[in-house]
Amino acid sequence: MRLFRSDSVRLATLYTTVFSLAVIVLGAVALLAARSALKHQLDARIQAEALALAQEYRTEGIKGVLDAVEERDRTPGALDYGLLGEDGRPLAGRLSGVSRPGWATLRIPGHSDELRILSITMPGGRRLIVGESLQQVSVLDGVLVGAFGFAFLGVLVLGVASGFALSREVQRRFSEMSGAAQAIIDGDLGRRIPLRGAGDDLDALGATFNRMLDRISALMDSLRQVSNDIAHDLRTPLTRLKQRLEASLSAGGAEAQTMAIEAALADLGAILDTFAALLRIAQIEAGTRRAGFRSVDLSALVTTVAEAFGPSAEEGRRTLSAEPAASAVVDGDAELLTQALVNMVENALRHTPPGSHIRVGAGRDERGAFLIVRDDGPGAPADELPRLFDRFYRLERSRSTPGSGLGLALVAAVARLHDARAELRDAEPGLEVRIIFAQERPRTLAIPNAGVMRDAGYSR
Amino acid sequence: MKLLVVEDDDETAAFLLRALHEAGHVVDRAASGRDGLLLAAGEPYDVIVLDRMLPPPDGLTIVRTIRAAGVKAPVLLLTALGGIDDRVEGLEAGADDYLVKPFAFSELLARVNALARRPPPQEAPTALQVGDLNLDLLKRSVTRGRARIELQPREFQILAFLMRNAGRVVTRTMLLESVWGFHFDPKTNIVETHVSRLRSKVDRGRGVQLIQTVRGAGYCIRDSE
Repeated sequence: MRLFRSDSVRLATLYTTVFSLAVIVLGAVALLAARSALKHQLDARIQAEALALAQEYRTEGIKGVLDAVEERDRTPGALDYGLLGEDGRPLAGRLSGVSRPGWATLRIPGHSDELRILSITMPGGRRLIVGESLQQVSVLDGVLVGAFGFAFLGVLVLGVASGFALSREVQRRFSEMSGAAQAIIDGDLGRRIPLRGAGDDLDALGATFNRMLDRISALMDSLRQVSNDIAHDLRTPLTRLKQRLEASLSAGGAEAQTMAIEAALADLGAILDTFAALLRIAQIEAGTRRAGFRSVDLSALVTTVAEAFGPSAEEGRRTLSAEPAASAVVDGDAELLTQALVNMVENALRHTPPGSHIRVGAGRDERGAFLIVRDDGPGAPADELPRLFDRFYRLERSRSTPGSGLGLALVAAVARLHDARAELRDAEPGLEVRIIFAQERPRTLAIPNAGVMRDAGYSR
Repeated sequence: MKLLVVEDDDETAAFLLRALHEAGHVVDRAASGRDGLLLAAGEPYDVIVLDRMLPPPDGLTIVRTIRAAGVKAPVLLLTALGGIDDRVEGLEAGADDYLVKPFAFSELLARVNALARRPPPQEAPTALQVGDLNLDLLKRSVTRGRARIELQPREFQILAFLMRNAGRVVTRTMLLESVWGFHFDPKTNIVETHVSRLRSKVDRGRGVQLIQTVRGAGYCIRDSE
């Protein structure tokens, strides 16, 4: 039977057995203790009576004893007595025929229960016997055994019932989990393990599994997104390239052909750049670079990049100023951070009109160390701001400017790798791109996570 | 110069052989890692162009092996598009330079030429001269004829790099790597603008233009007389 193979049923059975055994042991101990106490009490009473009669004999003589025994025999609830002559003949009382002095337990014809007796020899060779039926003890036995029998049955019923209930509940929740897993296997990737909200261990386990499933599905989404992006955004330039090459076949004259081929090569270069950028983002997102993190001085980065791009900015009649603050050192990958900052600067250079001013800075505030590029250009509509970090996302008015739409996506990927946040803000006017590094990044986070996208076309 | 190309893809290899031959080099080709290792270890070459992905042993293993065997010939490692960590790994294995596929042939040629005549470290000069242009690496000063030329630090670095490779083509990416340490390709013409500023300081108003643009390849400093 399936039910008895389940762990919870086995546990319930075990607990019920242990509890039942405990009840039995408890009952036996209680019975023995009560019996022993009762017997002691009985013996004490018998002994007291025997001593009292012996005292009577000493003061009143044999006559006194005879009277006392006879009177007690008539009293209900009293003990049993017997007085024997030196020849063993019964003189008074109901007990007789006991020859040996001392304690004894014996069965007397006419009594349903055993008898506890004390026999003492009095002066003159006479013998006094005091006894009491052990009926009380057997009554106590019956009461105790009955009570513990009920308790035992109760424990058994309660144990079995709660064991079944518990195991059914646990089994139900396990089958819910297993059902959710099966549904996911069958393709319903949105299914999650239902939680009770009770905050118990199974809920905690379910919540952990759900978080894992969320992470997996996020990775799947990003993978699907990348393939869709590649399919859509490379089709256009590839089609254009094809048309150019077809046109060059029919172009008249060597010079026209050379020009067409050069244009085709330029197109091809752009396509390869897009591929390289996509792969680079994928690699960064795989997180394998964390192992090589070193201290990086963000201010030095700002100085280098601003110095490198200053002349180009001036050539386009824009101004570029560096605002490197001291003490902006983070743990990271210098090459990737440089590229992220370069992409932020190029984004600003490309999407602002001549005459704009671009500020490149680094610093540290209450939120942590940061890199910032701010321009005073036209900015972007508020509802499109968060989407600018998406791959291939471009503002409507930027469609005609050169660029792959991957620059800020790489910035976001580099930020994620560093557990930093990439933020876009309306600089009123203009656009502000900022990477904020979390304060005191714990080093344990530097463990590279599984390289899910590492094999995405990347060969080594 | 005598070169060795270790490349398993026949089409790429044929293209490289033809182009390098046209550029005046003697070229051997090995199509597998094993052949490449045997040739590289056995014959003296001026430069070895090594594909990273090969039928075993792979490029990295070959570099390590020949370096361990004492072969000093400069090695240019070629790799497939994308690997971020590959450059560091390649250089650590003992390669001298690194090029990501697909590459322009002019880039490969420029790097091969630069590698072939790279002076050993102990012979690094402290002063460079091209025509009447003098650059002192210790005093960090530049003079043309008798006139002193004031350069920004980056312009000085660019000029020094060009002069070290005098007479040879220096590509845009070579400058990006050596002067700025940028191992990626910015989409902005930062090299062009810096070189044009440098050129205006070095060559403006002079009869002889020392810094020349090599179309589709890069820059070259030479005394044209």
